[in-house]
Amino acid sequence: MTKDVDIDKICTTLDKLTLDTLTLMEEHVQLKLNLENSMNDGILNLAKTRYIMGHNNISSLQLPAEDSSEIEAIAVIHSEENEKLGYRMHDLEVIKKSESNSKIQDPLKWFGVLVPQNLHIAQNRFKQALIWIGEIANIQSRLNYNCNKLEGLRQLKNDAMKTE
Amino acid sequence: MAFSAAKGKLLSVIGDEDTCVGFLLGGVGEINKNRHPNFMVVDKNTAVSEIEDCFKRFIKRDDIDIILINQNIAELIRHVIDGHTQPIPAVLEIPSKDHPYDATKDSILRRAKGMFNPDDFLRST
Repeated sequence: MTKDVDIDKICTTLDKLTLDTLTLMEEHVQLKLNLENSMNDGILNLAKTRYIMGHNNISSLQLPAEDSSEIEAIAVIHSEENEKLGYRMHDLEVIKKSESNSKIQDPLKWFGVLVPQNLHIAQNRFKQALIWIGEIANIQSRLNYNCNKLEGLRQLKNDAMKTE
Repeated sequence: MAFSAAKGKLLSVIGDEDTCVGFLLGGVGEINKNRHPNFMVVDKNTAVSEIEDCFKRFIKRDDIDIILINQNIAELIRHVIDGHTQPIPAVLEIPSKDHPYDATKDSILRRAKGMFNPDDFLRST
């Protein structure tokens, strides 16, 4: 009798987790499509900037290389394991330039002093893409957590049914 | 949201030129004290072994929390990505200019889909 109750409990939890996982999967795909839209907008504006400034002026050549001076990231991630929920949560932080932190430099400056408006738009689109990425990372960690839990519960259910 | 005084961790990028330029423009780029960048620009001449090495290097770094990788590049080193099961750093597959997002190739979605094998739902009597 108690075993029956146990299996029923496991099955109910499995059902809930499965539904939750399906919802998360849908949300994950939707967020990736949002990310794709932002990135495509950004890339289109990069292409417009290339048209104005010349092809070689917006390329990997302008990016800092190993021999350039130390550069600090402006967009960083704070993540911590949420003990109540059991999975990691990520939060995006965009560091503002301040006098105490002189290493921080606007990446637009790598491409020149007076850059076209399109490059500013491209930067904003990619900043938006970073926000999506923070959300996707959260969904992904929840999905991973759900998958681990589902695997464990399935095993438990199989074991319980074998001993029945 | 208020952030703790602890320094945030990095996002790293392995991608084509436009993806790297874009996200670095967004502010994820860093060159640390040892002159190690947190990004890698992949072009058609980049060897797969180089991408693999770079990915493994990023996984070992403890200041990186999220690795962004173009989905078409992730396909080249799928065995290495599938072998990475730790939660940190999280590997996010992102679309690129030439390759739109394909949900069927996404590691995490394939894993979640694998959970829904119809046989598992049958309760033997």
